[in-house]
Amino acid sequence: MDDINPIPFTFRIIAVVALMVLLVPVLIVVLAGLNSGEYLTFPPEGFSLRWIENFFTSPTFLPAFKLSFGLALATTIISTILGTLASIFLTRSTSKAREILRGLFFLPVVLPGVVLGLALYVFFIWSDVGLARSLAGLIIGHVLVTMPFVIATVTASLVDFDLSVEEAARSLGATPFQAFWKVTLPLITPGISAGSIFAFIVSFGQFELTLFLSTPDLQTLPLAIYSSLRYAFEPTAAAAGIFAICLVTVSTLISTRLSNLKKLLSRR
Amino acid sequence: MSDIRLEHLTKSYGDSTAVDSVSLHIEEGEFYALLGPSGCGKSTTLRMVAGFVKPSVGKIIIDGLDLTPLPPEKRDIGIVFQNYAIFPHMSVAENIAFGLKLRKKSRTEIDTAVRAALDQVGLTGFEDRYQRNLSGGQQQRVALARVLVTEPRILLLDEPLSALDKTLREEMKFWIKNLQQKLGITTIYVTHDQDEALTMSDRIGVMRAGQIEHSGTPREIYEEPATLFVTSFIGQSNILDVTCQGVKENKATVELGGQSLHASTRHLFGKGTPAKLVIRPENVLMGKEAEAQGVPLLTATVIDETYQGAMLRYRLEIAGQEIVAERQNQFHLERWAPGTEVKIGWTERRARALPDEKPAATGS
Repeated sequence: MDDINPIPFTFRIIAVVALMVLLVPVLIVVLAGLNSGEYLTFPPEGFSLRWIENFFTSPTFLPAFKLSFGLALATTIISTILGTLASIFLTRSTSKAREILRGLFFLPVVLPGVVLGLALYVFFIWSDVGLARSLAGLIIGHVLVTMPFVIATVTASLVDFDLSVEEAARSLGATPFQAFWKVTLPLITPGISAGSIFAFIVSFGQFELTLFLSTPDLQTLPLAIYSSLRYAFEPTAAAAGIFAICLVTVSTLISTRLSNLKKLLSRR
Repeated sequence: MSDIRLEHLTKSYGDSTAVDSVSLHIEEGEFYALLGPSGCGKSTTLRMVAGFVKPSVGKIIIDGLDLTPLPPEKRDIGIVFQNYAIFPHMSVAENIAFGLKLRKKSRTEIDTAVRAALDQVGLTGFEDRYQRNLSGGQQQRVALARVLVTEPRILLLDEPLSALDKTLREEMKFWIKNLQQKLGITTIYVTHDQDEALTMSDRIGVMRAGQIEHSGTPREIYEEPATLFVTSFIGQSNILDVTCQGVKENKATVELGGQSLHASTRHLFGKGTPAKLVIRPENVLMGKEAEAQGVPLLTATVIDETYQGAMLRYRLEIAGQEIVAERQNQFHLERWAPGTEVKIGWTERRARALPDEKPAATGS
């Protein structure tokens, strides 16, 4: 740390303040979840693990947590595969439909979740193929809103991808699929894993869309927290929040580690 | 080792033609350079041979076998790119082993081959390095090793020296040529640098507007250029306006400033048609040297003299046209001050008569 910090002091102050504004609510949720009192209050009346315990024994929260986790996982996998394929088309195709498709892919993030949820709900009912109020329908909805994040990050890494590397692989004897699998894919992995982290987080926290597509027996964590706060205002919701925060943090850390993001980035 | 034949190879994009009916035969073990300015179609030609670009018309035949419909991976052709295209996520050894692994070679075979290839390009000990820790010249050697280890039938080099600095470029020029000769591998070398083409190649194809204007040995290209474009693209030339008086047995009689001169030619000119007389500056003789050769003499006026160390460069005026002469800078030779008159001349076979052409006629 002998080097002079190139970031001016005032900027560092601003950064600290911004970080605090972002982190304080998280901290409040964590503290509220460890509260010993009967109601969701702040500051906490004392330390206790009773609401954490309650989270595990509650008939709604733990299943909701599991459902959200499974839903986010399925959504992430589907979204990452489809989003990556879509990105390849969007960057490599010379088709005129490209720009129109790009717009369509990004529409779900531009539209308000309520509008999209309502539209999907009406469409599922109208098409009458059993997607309305089903897990499959819920996954489709989540894939729609998470795929733009995958497309954005993967497209970014494909745009400055040097095609001659792929051509070199081809002329050394690789089929188009082998060249993609052994050369292109490892090189765009940072983009793909960044996109899939986004997809997971967005799906796990998705609320408006889920509100339209879920049923009483398909309750995700955000919905469970919402209804518990409406009818019972007890700290179990905050305890559930702790687990949500932990899950997102841990999954981000794991996928970053798995894809060796740091190592790949430092190679530039 | 293979020979390669291009038959009427053509690539058009919409209305524009990038490569226009190129036909060429490259002998087994030959080092053939495609030379031309950017946009002349040389890279597109190379990419068609490699299989990355599908020809609109024409065939690519290697060892009598038509490769045109085959994808790049089935062609057995090695290519080294301008930016070397080293796989950044693989070590040097993994890069070199890439082609062998795809060919399902055994572990031990691959290890031996990789070691031999590294030795061949002088990079023993670099096995575990990554692209980010290699210099440009080292990356180029890895790219070459990666290609050569698969024993391709043809080697394609796309401007391989243009990303290197000048000293390294000189060194690599001879290194690549030596390696090519040692392996005897048929090579197509794309470049815009006339020095590289002249020093490295067995034959050169000078390209313009999608066509090969002149294909021949470096000596032929330099001394007997087929067109005015080739003349001006390779080295320096004096191009003088003359009037033709007749052609007989590849020898043209032309008139310059009221004097009849002879020049070698491969063209037929009608009597009285305008033509261009082409003569390299080093072949213009001055003063006693010209007189001693017994060649027809012309009277020129010295415009100025430029000192270039080993050479002296004279700008002269003759019959209202400028002509440049280069003389060895040796103390016993005559020198001329600006404004003085001097007799100049040249031997017949050093001068060439070429038909006039519109400069940079593109497209056809």
